[in-house]
Amino acid sequence: MMNHKGDFLGLLRHADTLTDETEVDRETSDVNLTTKRDLFQATPKPIRDALQLTSKEKTIHGTTLEIPEATTVVAMRYQNGIIIAGDRRATAGTSVVHDRAEKVLPIDSHSVLAISGAPAMAYEIARVLKHSFQYFRRSQLQELSVEGKLRTLSRLIRDNLPMAMQGIGAVIPIFALYSPQTDESENGGKIYFYDALGAHFENVDFATTGSGSIWIRGVLRYLDRWGDTQLENMDQRTATITILRLLDTASEYDAATSGYNAKAEIFPTVKTITHQGIDTLSEDYLKDCYVEAT
Amino acid sequence: MRDLPYRWIEAIQDRRDYIEDQLRLGSPVVGLPYENGSLLLTVTKGAQKIFEVHDRIALSAIGHPADIERLRMLVTDTASVQAFQSATEDVNLHRLTHYVLAHTFKQAFEAIVGEAYIIKMLLVEIGNGDAKTQFTHINYDGNVNVHHESAVIGGTSEIENAMQDYLTNEQSDTETDLATTIQLALKTWAVGRELSQRFEEAEDNTEVTDEQIDEIIKSELDEGEIEAGILDNSLPADTKFRILSQDEIQDLTNK
Repeated sequence: MMNHKGDFLGLLRHADTLTDETEVDRETSDVNLTTKRDLFQATPKPIRDALQLTSKEKTIHGTTLEIPEATTVVAMRYQNGIIIAGDRRATAGTSVVHDRAEKVLPIDSHSVLAISGAPAMAYEIARVLKHSFQYFRRSQLQELSVEGKLRTLSRLIRDNLPMAMQGIGAVIPIFALYSPQTDESENGGKIYFYDALGAHFENVDFATTGSGSIWIRGVLRYLDRWGDTQLENMDQRTATITILRLLDTASEYDAATSGYNAKAEIFPTVKTITHQGIDTLSEDYLKDCYVEAT
Repeated sequence: MRDLPYRWIEAIQDRRDYIEDQLRLGSPVVGLPYENGSLLLTVTKGAQKIFEVHDRIALSAIGHPADIERLRMLVTDTASVQAFQSATEDVNLHRLTHYVLAHTFKQAFEAIVGEAYIIKMLLVEIGNGDAKTQFTHINYDGNVNVHHESAVIGGTSEIENAMQDYLTNEQSDTETDLATTIQLALKTWAVGRELSQRFEEAEDNTEVTDEQIDEIIKSELDEGEIEAGILDNSLPADTKFRILSQDEIQDLTNK
């Protein structure tokens, strides 16, 4: 059954019937299209068992939702669009397991997902999202609308709710995009924050999530309201310095957030989304900004 | 019918004649490499004919629009599923051609009680690293031809041969910029278009003069417009395909 709706998850569900319609004998083909997995509903049995055990031990019955989100990601509107950043630390309990994690993931030419929460699910959601947007464009010959993108992400987060309810698989992302149709004289940058059930809210000026976010949300509000320059009026360099200082502040109080590691030269990931698309700020540029930031 | 072999062969020949009659007037497509990647070009009167299949693969076709759409979706769906189930790097034109498209074409063509696909397809995959750029021509009967320098599709094999001869004479050995490549592709397209309008005479007379090329471009562009898609290795994103805007095409053809 061919899928003409541009629905990528729908396509995956019917992947095993892809070539049936054209009466091709798939047994003679090397192309294995029979593997049909809905990754967000058909979790492998060992993991399901482990989850059930965890659930019983914790006796969580849906009234308490603990979301492990050891990280800090932050996005804000600036003069040319959106600047979005995340620290690089990945933790397991009190251990630092990785110092070069990428938490700010480009999804298409003008949208970025900054993830906090369980990395396995977060990376998979980002991957499905990327393929969904690409598939829609390729099959329907047009870009998915902003509303369509938001709903696709909502659906993925909502499908992940059972994992979130069991306390180990929650994902709370920030989704930032630039609407390329916007007149170049205006700022087409938009920032959306999601809850664990998939509801999305547009944050006009800034958003932050992760365990370190509580330390900087107030700072962002203060800067936006009473700072010398409103966030939206900052140029790229000022916005970069501000966001580096915010991550540094978060890392000071949150053990799960890393700052700038001068010795190993590990920088946060910082990207801009503008009318021209996504740009990853280079390490040299960040190093230069750090001189001014500290 | 299969118990009478000569009738089966006759039926296949009838089917071949029917499909070639249907394809004869199709607007040709030209595929050429340029300094940053590859170009597909045709002239259309509305319906889009050049499509993105995957990050480094594009498609164009002549034939019945319903068949083009059906097979475009098949190859796009297959590439998307493969990329998701394994990795984007595992999707390549060789697999899509030989394990998905070619035998689909052949099976439909030889199943004489069913409907045949009225289509000729040209796919291009730009090289990555050591891999060469590859143009793949798939005929309605499932025959596959792979080229590395250039490829064309036209209504008949005579038209395609004439277009290819023109390219052989005019194509430079060195990599050219996009403007030069588009201009050559447009002239090659015009050779094919001129011959497709001569009907049966084209088999005997495949000579097309520069004046005729200019004339046919002028007259065809009164009603249609150039459609051009590129796979551009210099694009920073994973997806290398983009359709050129009419403004860009205008600038490039006037250079």
